[in-house]
Amino acid sequence: MAENDDLARIIVGCRKGDSQCFSQLVDMYASRCYGYFYRLTGNNDISDELLSELFVKLVEKIATYKGGSFESWLFRIATNIFHDFLRSKQRRKKLLETRKEQLETEFTEIKKSDDEKIEKLEIQLKKLDTDTRELIMLRFYSQLSFKEMAKIRYEPIGTTLAKLHRGLKKLREIMDG
Amino acid sequence: MNERNDENLRELLEQFMSPEQAQMHLDDIEKGEKILREHPAPEPDDMLLANIKAEIALHVIPHRTTAFRRIAFRVAAVAAAVIIVTAIWTNLFNEQTVPGPQQHEQYASEFPWDYQDSTVFNTKLELLESDLRALEYGEKDVDNESAMTELELEVIEIAGDFWKG
Repeated sequence: MAENDDLARIIVGCRKGDSQCFSQLVDMYASRCYGYFYRLTGNNDISDELLSELFVKLVEKIATYKGGSFESWLFRIATNIFHDFLRSKQRRKKLLETRKEQLETEFTEIKKSDDEKIEKLEIQLKKLDTDTRELIMLRFYSQLSFKEMAKIRYEPIGTTLAKLHRGLKKLREIMDG
Repeated sequence: MNERNDENLRELLEQFMSPEQAQMHLDDIEKGEKILREHPAPEPDDMLLANIKAEIALHVIPHRTTAFRRIAFRVAAVAAAVIIVTAIWTNLFNEQTVPGPQQHEQYASEFPWDYQDSTVFNTKLELLESDLRALEYGEKDVDNESAMTELELEVIEIAGDFWKG
């Protein structure tokens, strides 16, 4: 509850144009949003770019935040930014090239370290379709409820539940296999 | 602000399937999410975060300036409206009051003719008066009809001169 009060106070500060409050939001959400972008793109540079874009959008749109779940509002913007990124032909091409390079690097070397664990997950995630991967990452990094996720994705809650279950089950199968 | 903590996933799943199936789904979801927890994504670079904060500060300044400008414009508009309304109100109020002798002089000086003009008019009026009196008492030995016409013409001429200033 105190956390929510703190967040509400920070948001009020942001709406007044206090850059310190925006910095606090960056500290609170940068890690989760970066993880979300990184798991979807598999690229540090692109994730850096998308994260910067997200916080600039946050500054521009903070006046439109009308209360409710802030995470839901923030990750809706993050989702839109990722979709814009996908729509950009040039960037998509760059992403595919990067992924290709990464796959070639991953398959040449197999280690049993934490780094290798990250890489293994990255490889397996690429076997899932974009929509499923996006849903899994949205659930994991935004920490939103299914109701909120269904609202963001403009689909019935049952559909969101079924897609997430199928996706996570498939991820476990390919990770085990 | 986050609803996830209040969400009972089992209850939610049981709305769509049997309790046994719901339990299986719940296990699958938990195991899948465990994989993600065991493989954390890299953290954003400190330099990146510093850059983002600096960029935000740059974006915030114009927003604040715009907000200040908007407030300043509103205050100026209200002040202008107050001045205009006060000016109109004062003017109306002055018009409604009966002017004193000094004000009469003030107004008189604003008229386009001077004192000499008014003397000419007064002289003409006096002449007309005497002509009328003469006609009335039959002092002048003239034709009444032509004298009246002449008088009328003179009155018209004086009136024309008066309005011309």
